[in-house]
Amino acid sequence: MHELSLAQSLIDQLLELAREHQAERINRVLVTLGPFSGIVRDSFEFGFNVLKESHDVTRKAVLELETPDPVYVCLDCEKVAVIPFATPNDQMETRSGYPYPKKCPWCCLTRLSPKGGTELILNQVEME
Amino acid sequence: MCDTCGCQLHHHHHADPKIVEVNQSLLAANQKQAESNRHHIEQMGAVAINLISSPGSGKTTLLERTIEILKDTFKIGVIEGDIETERDADRIRAKGVPAVQLTTGGACHLDAPIVHGGLHVLEHLAKGGKYDLIFIENVGNLVCPATFDLGEHQRVILLSVPEGSDKPVKYPATFRSADLMLITKTDLVPYFDFSMDEATKEAGILKPGLEILPLSATTGDGFERWIAYLHGLLKR
Repeated sequence: MHELSLAQSLIDQLLELAREHQAERINRVLVTLGPFSGIVRDSFEFGFNVLKESHDVTRKAVLELETPDPVYVCLDCEKVAVIPFATPNDQMETRSGYPYPKKCPWCCLTRLSPKGGTELILNQVEME
Repeated sequence: MCDTCGCQLHHHHHADPKIVEVNQSLLAANQKQAESNRHHIEQMGAVAINLISSPGSGKTTLLERTIEILKDTFKIGVIEGDIETERDADRIRAKGVPAVQLTTGGACHLDAPIVHGGLHVLEHLAKGGKYDLIFIENVGNLVCPATFDLGEHQRVILLSVPEGSDKPVKYPATFRSADLMLITKTDLVPYFDFSMDEATKEAGILKPGLEILPLSATTGDGFERWIAYLHGLLKR
């Protein structure tokens, strides 16, 4: 549950930004969670929505999270591939062996090494 | 005039929303403290290692054995992270080296600010405040500690034989962040369904080129390479 500590540091950053820009209210917060950041999106969102209630400035803030698709490097053919995570709608494909185990779309081998994607970035804040 | 408070300022209460581009890491505060910890550790003359693993995979036992071998060669200090109790720090003190116990009181990982406090205590415990090697034993957890830089120079992840060889693929973020992986309790290989091949192959996919050392603190097998690795860090 380190999502709660991260949500707390986001709230701290927002309070600081609001002070800096003399804003009374934060409306919208845009955050990027890297696909390999190890952060559970739902827990982070839950933590944020609990913690934002403690401050007038953040109480109305809406958190928008975006997660870029994961990028892999194939250790066999050395090509780079973007392979989205499976979603519950992919059940049929999952059963037929796609996209898990993940395969390189170029050479069909499975030694896919994650590339980047560990970022946790506060991109943009809308305030007034 | 402002309808809300009656002041004479334009747009005092009805300003247009303003969009601020921030582009800053959520970990910025931790990162800043981690850089300062690293500097502090270097001022103390030391190299620091952050040990991460599941609970019970042998971090403290690894340290006990390592201290027995190296305590006459290097000045060693240990920072122990746990949710509760001084037990681990007591085990280290019994080996005759300074240890600081950090209890998080529930938090599942150490972060840079808490380690900062630990470093000051460790500095106070040594004559002249100097060390060669500082081990930071993280809270036993294969998930959360991976996200937090503590100011270490090397991150060592332990995987013990009883846990199973599928751990790297199940906890990829942690193994990906490793500088060295130790496979511990290798004396138990005959009694568990552990595939050395699977563990090394999967870890090598997550982090190509990752150095992996199998060892046993009970028999001492594999310790020469671990000790050589530590000597190598101090020569840098």
